[in-house]
Amino acid sequence: MLKFKYNGGLKLENPYPVDAIDLIRIPLPDKVVLPMQQRIGNQAIPIVSVGERVLTGQIVATIDDQRCAPVHASISGTVVAIDEHVYAHKSGLKGLCVTIESDGKDEWVDTSIGCTEHYEACTANTIYNKIRVSGIVGMGGAGFPTHTKVRLAEGCHTLLVNATECEPGITCDAALMQAYPTKVIRGIEVLLHICQAERAIIAIEDDKQDAIAALNKFCNNENITIEVMPTKYTSGAEKLLLKSLLGIEVPTGKFASDVGVLCQNVATVVAMFDAVVENRPLISRAVTVAGSAVKESKNFQVRLGASYDYLLSFVDIVEGSHKISMNGLMMGIELDSTNYSVSKNTNCVFIDQLEESKPTKECIRCGLCNTVCPVDLLPQQLYWYSKSENIDKAIEYNLLDCIECNCCSYVCPSYIPLVDYYQYSKSLYKQQVKEKQQTESARERYEFRELRLERNKRERAEMMEAKKIALKEKMAKDKAHKATVEAALERVDAAKSAHGSQDDG
Amino acid sequence: MLDAISTLSLLALLLGLGLGYAAIRYRVKGNPLIDQIDAILPQTQCGQCDFPGCRPYAEAIASGEVEINQCPPGGQEGVDALAELLGVETLPLNQVHGETKPKRVAVVDEKVCIGCTLCIQACPVDAFVGSSKVMTTVIAEECTGCDLCLPVCPVDCIDMVEIKPTFRTYVPDISELAHA
Repeated sequence: MLKFKYNGGLKLENPYPVDAIDLIRIPLPDKVVLPMQQRIGNQAIPIVSVGERVLTGQIVATIDDQRCAPVHASISGTVVAIDEHVYAHKSGLKGLCVTIESDGKDEWVDTSIGCTEHYEACTANTIYNKIRVSGIVGMGGAGFPTHTKVRLAEGCHTLLVNATECEPGITCDAALMQAYPTKVIRGIEVLLHICQAERAIIAIEDDKQDAIAALNKFCNNENITIEVMPTKYTSGAEKLLLKSLLGIEVPTGKFASDVGVLCQNVATVVAMFDAVVENRPLISRAVTVAGSAVKESKNFQVRLGASYDYLLSFVDIVEGSHKISMNGLMMGIELDSTNYSVSKNTNCVFIDQLEESKPTKECIRCGLCNTVCPVDLLPQQLYWYSKSENIDKAIEYNLLDCIECNCCSYVCPSYIPLVDYYQYSKSLYKQQVKEKQQTESARERYEFRELRLERNKRERAEMMEAKKIALKEKMAKDKAHKATVEAALERVDAAKSAHGSQDDG
Repeated sequence: MLDAISTLSLLALLLGLGLGYAAIRYRVKGNPLIDQIDAILPQTQCGQCDFPGCRPYAEAIASGEVEINQCPPGGQEGVDALAELLGVETLPLNQVHGETKPKRVAVVDEKVCIGCTLCIQACPVDAFVGSSKVMTTVIAEECTGCDLCLPVCPVDCIDMVEIKPTFRTYVPDISELAHA
């Protein structure tokens, strides 16, 4: 049982239960579409060109930005296009993608160079670099570049491995742990080696008994403990995990690394093991395919960039109109089609039967949302402020601490999409802050320019004035000189004439 | 009687001195209203208001010489905000000065640019970088989209490009959420 607790949260049943969880490896896709824009950081720049042959694991795009990870070819074949595609994103915006057509050979780049199993002989810096060039980002959903996160947590006391997978219906992490328990444990050992933490805790929910058994069987390291937690939604949120396991509350605007804890998702740990020990970059991931329209939900180990359609061809789908969504029932987003590809943080694709949408009604001020908020905010208050675009007030009520878990919208009897409002005000806030900075900068630059022009004008005038005076002085001096010369000449003349008259005389 | 007079006189003297000192010590430099107006103006420095910049326009508004509806980049929202600050009736934006356009940024066609530096001199916020006879470029972050560089360019190599929302600047539309 847990020593500590957090308020709120929801007890949710898995809507798509299965008898046994398994990780299925599927054949190589014929084509992959790799997005250049990842969830965080700037858009990566392709370093291959159309028509070029690439090998599996070869870097196809990169950018010199600590908040960005490179993108690798997930199959061997030919680059057939570098163009814009609609991303699986709420905005429906287009972004740059590299499309690779498979040659079916899956020829790899040389994976023999690197740290191998002798990673203990490598310095932390070498391993950070290995993680960075392997393109690893947080695979739980946030997509934060792992090398940056690990580096930030240097000198931490605890490593927390997040295997809770609290979103109902997603089982890809459980499948991964069952399939590769040794990779999980060895991956944690690699992390312990570089971050120098004293202990590691694997946090796992009690509905994953098979995964727990598998980990227990292979865990011989006394520094690693497996903490079984009761199944409750939002337990997996990083800050809540810290609160419920360690009793540490992360202050607003700070991260787990600021309180000496490094938190990593279990899939990220496995990816890191592959990168550091096996020298294989991140080119595939586990994805859950489930939903009320899917006859049996399954987990697939699939190459990144494979299309949803390709994934869905391995499950039986009930005929009819479907609702397509990704990344979970609670925090995921709804999509208009299956015309997207698996990215580094796609953990599930859900195909549900289309249900009649529940019409949104007015808020009745029941306060139910306030009781379920796991981060102790006042969702109702935030809703009013967001709706009226009173952003300052919403920020004052700690809008930025909202983890967008959707517990409030889930319980709302009026079916108000509360989190959509919060996302709106958050992005509006971000925009306002940026605009304010730009305005401030424009004002400063304008004023400085005025000042500079004024100064230049003054300096020019002063210079002209000085020149004028100098000229006048010079003229006066010349005049005086001339006068002296003339006077002298006169004197000479006078002397001459005096002399002449004397001679005459 | 004398006590009362002297006490009150002393009091008046002391308070007078205090107030006199405070008036000098805490004197407000300039007109604070100008700063408040300037804070509302968008700082595009485009001169569409017929003043050479936002601050001169703010000064003119503060002195009551001009109407508050001459700033197209600020839009109707800006006019409304000014009206609220000044406690006057709001006005519709004066179309004579131009219309509100979406945010834009100047882009130099680097192949065409001859390095005449005229745009550098025209830019109110020093957003151009360049020198005589070399290619000029724009610091996109600092460009206010004022259009002042367009008429001075002798080879017409500057384009104003609308800033499109990206994944990182995208703001969802809540009007879709509004219920029946």
